[in-house]
Amino acid sequence: MDKPRRITDSFPRRRRRGPGRPPGRLKDKKDKDKVQVKVRDCPRAPSQPPTDPALLEMLRRFDLSWEYGPCTGITRLQRWERAQELGLSPPGPIRDALLEH
Amino acid sequence: MFSEQAAPTAEGLLTPPSAEPPTFPRVPVSGYSDCSQPFQLGERSFSRQYAHIYAVRLAGMRPGLERRAQNRWGNDVVLRKLSELQAGEKCCVVGTLFKSMQLQPSILQEISEEHNLVPQPPLPKYIQPSDELLLEDELQRIKLEGAIDVQRLVTGTILAVYGSEQDDGVFLVEDHCFADLPPPLPWNGPSSDRFVLLASGLGLGSVSGEALLSTQLLVDVVTGQLGAEGEQSCAAHIARVILAGNLLSQNTQSRDTINKAKYLTKKTQAASVEAVKMLDEILLQLCTSVPVDVMPGEFDPTNYTLPQQPLHRCMLPLASAYATLRLVTNPYQADLDGVRFLGTSGQNVSDIFKYSSMDDYLEILEWTLLAGHISPTAPDTLGCYPFYKSDPFILTECPHVYFCGNAPRFQSKLLQGKEGQRVLLLTVPDFSATQTACLINLRNLTCQPITFSGFGADDED
Repeated sequence: MDKPRRITDSFPRRRRRGPGRPPGRLKDKKDKDKVQVKVRDCPRAPSQPPTDPALLEMLRRFDLSWEYGPCTGITRLQRWERAQELGLSPPGPIRDALLEH
Repeated sequence: MFSEQAAPTAEGLLTPPSAEPPTFPRVPVSGYSDCSQPFQLGERSFSRQYAHIYAVRLAGMRPGLERRAQNRWGNDVVLRKLSELQAGEKCCVVGTLFKSMQLQPSILQEISEEHNLVPQPPLPKYIQPSDELLLEDELQRIKLEGAIDVQRLVTGTILAVYGSEQDDGVFLVEDHCFADLPPPLPWNGPSSDRFVLLASGLGLGSVSGEALLSTQLLVDVVTGQLGAEGEQSCAAHIARVILAGNLLSQNTQSRDTINKAKYLTKKTQAASVEAVKMLDEILLQLCTSVPVDVMPGEFDPTNYTLPQQPLHRCMLPLASAYATLRLVTNPYQADLDGVRFLGTSGQNVSDIFKYSSMDDYLEILEWTLLAGHISPTAPDTLGCYPFYKSDPFILTECPHVYFCGNAPRFQSKLLQGKEGQRVLLLTVPDFSATQTACLINLRNLTCQPITFSGFGADDED
C-alpha cells in the first residue's frame, strides 16, 4: 500500500456547511464598506457590476498611507472619520466611494 | 471644620432631651452634572490592536506640544519628524516615549521554554540603571540621551525634545518639555461653605474587622447621628460623598478555590459575596441622607481594564432603590456646584510608581497633570480598552480638583498655573489602613483630613 491506512479512514472528515452558505467565503464579509476584492457568487447581490481596479487601487493606497494611522481592525469608513476628526484632511473621494458601495 | 463649631455645644449632650429637637437640613444639591461619558464604554470590541490608541494619542497631543515647543524655544524652532532628521541639525521632535526596561515583567519571557525561568516575583519598583529611553513617532524610533532623566519618565508619555541627532544614530537631548497644564475652566464655585467627603479603600471583606468601626463612625458622622448639635450642623454642610475605589479588600480576591478539588469547595462561596452585602448595607445608610458616588477600584467586581465600568446595580439591591446612589466609572469626572472634579482610584499612579523613580504619590499626580495625560503607562503595563477613535485619558481641560485614591497617606497641594489654573491636587489615603478621609471645601478649595478611630488618641479633627 502506498499510504498507511488509519482507523479513522472509515469516517473521513467532512467540513459541515450550513444550508444556503456559498462555498469559500471572504474573511471579513460583514463589513459592507470594504469593497470585495474578488467577485464571488453571492446570493445577496446577484447582479454586481465588475469592480473598478482604479477604485481598488485608490482604496489600497488609502489603507497603506501612514498619515492616517493604523488600518487594521477598523473599517475604512471608521478610519476616514477618525482622520477627519483629528484634522488630517483625508481625501473626500475616498469617503464617497466607501459610502457608494 | 468640626472642631471650632462643635466644642461650645458639647454641653448640649448632657441636658435632658428637649420637646422639639433641632433639625439641620442638609445643603441642597444644586448643579451636579456627570461628565464621564468618554469613560463609559457601550459596545466593547477587543478585536483591535493597541497601535490605534498610541496613534490617536500622538495625533491628538501633537498640535498642543508643537505650540508649547514654539513658546519655549522660539517661534522659529525647526519641527521635524524622525524620518526627516539630519545629522547635527538642532531641531525639535514630538513623539511617544518608550522605556525599555530589563526587569519589566514580560509574559513571553515567562513562558519561553528555553530560558526555563521561574516567573519573576512582583517587585515594588522595576527600574534599573540600565534602562533606555526611545522616542517613537508614526514611523521610526530613535534612542535618546542627554539632558533627560531616564529613571523618572515612563512609557507612553508624549513629549517634545530639542536637540540634534549624532553620527551614531542617537539623539542628544538638550531640553525637553511636556504638554503642561491644560487650559483652565471658568470658576463657578459656591459662595458659602460646602463640603465634599472623599474616602477610598474601605476594604470590606478583609480578615480583620478593625476598619469596620471606623467605617461605621464615618457613616454616623456624615448622617449626623454622632456628636452634639455643633457637629451635626457641620455635617449638614457635607453635600456629597465620593468613594474612590477599593470598596472590597484584596482578601476577597483570593482564588484558592480554583486550585482546590471540587469536593472541598462545594459549599464555599466567594468572599466577595459577603463583602458586597456589607457594602450594600453601608451604602444604604449613607444614601438615605447624602448623595453618594461610588467608583470601582482594583479589587472591586467590575472589569480590570481601564476605564473601569460602574458596578452593576443588581449587586446593591437595598441601596440602589435610592436615587442618591450613583454608580460611576473609574476615572470619574463630574461638575459639582460648578467645581470640576477629576480623579481615579489610584491604579494609574501606582503603576507609574512601579516604573519610575518618583516616590511620592502627590509628585506623580502632579506629573501626570503636567504631562497632559491621566495614565500614560496604559496600555503598556496597565490594562486598557483598545480605543481607536480618541484617547479619553488626554486632559483637555484643567479640573479644579484632581484626586487619586488608595494612596499610602494623605497629601494635598494647591497648584497655580500660568494661565490662571487653580488645581487642588489630592491623594486620598487608604481608609482600611489609615482610617482617614478627606473633606474638601468647595468654596475656597481647601482640604483637611478627618480620621476616625475608636481609642481616643485622635478624635475627630
